[in-house]
Amino acid sequence: MGNEDEEWTQDVLKDLPSVSVPPALERRILADFDAQAARRRDGWLAGLRDAVWPGVPLWRPAGALAFALVVGVTVGTYLPLDDGVEQTASVALDAPPSFELGESS
Amino acid sequence: MIDPDTDLVVRAGRGDRAAAQALMTRHLPKMMTLARRMLGSQSEAEDAVQDAFLKLWTHAARWQPGKAKFETWLYRVTLNKCYDRLRRRPSAKLEEAAEVADPAPAADTVLENSALAGEIEAALSELPERQRAAILLCHHQERGNIEAAEILGISVEALESLLGRGRRALRARLGHLRD
Repeated sequence: MGNEDEEWTQDVLKDLPSVSVPPALERRILADFDAQAARRRDGWLAGLRDAVWPGVPLWRPAGALAFALVVGVTVGTYLPLDDGVEQTASVALDAPPSFELGESS
Repeated sequence: MIDPDTDLVVRAGRGDRAAAQALMTRHLPKMMTLARRMLGSQSEAEDAVQDAFLKLWTHAARWQPGKAKFETWLYRVTLNKCYDRLRRRPSAKLEEAAEVADPAPAADTVLENSALAGEIEAALSELPERQRAAILLCHHQERGNIEAAEILGISVEALESLLGRGRRALRARLGHLRD
């Protein structure tokens, strides 16, 4: 019975038609290979790029970082935070505390 | 035994596109057929196979010749991608999922739609996924029992048990075709 089932199954599955491989799938698979190969060529920098901003070209995170740096330096240089009131704080370390201690019961 | 794919895998791992293309040409049709029969859907099968090849490209640089037969490994990865997709199907029964109309045009559409092929595919889709994988590997992909067991990560005895139950279930369902 076992062998009979085996032959029967073999015979029945022969009737299944072959499955076509669309050329578009081949192109997608090779595009994945190209992307992977490019990533390997770029080395650790690409790894860092992927950790920060996955799937974009390297210039984009680098550009964003440079832009943030320029804006920060410009603001720090040309926009003084002086609003006309000088704020000073002094603490007399040798003066007695100004608060009163409650009496202990 | 020398693995005929080792050289190609090593070269693909070094970024050799021609080697990658040769690997793909050699193995894609078999993987596609397996995925299509496992999932019952052309578009899902394409995605599963693409995922499997992506895993290959990622791992090719670290491939260690002699550790495992490449084709066995690729079959296992493809099957695992199919299992992932089968488990992600939320409520639809496998049987129903297999009958979802597939928008992808295929050269074999006419044959696929033939009553006989449709009946066989429906019967296959009703089998539990491990039985289906065992049947497809041994009877459709013509893998030997030892290799099929290795692909499925089980013993040969366990494979034979899966095959026995799968064959009986198929025959019970499709007995009228050949008996």
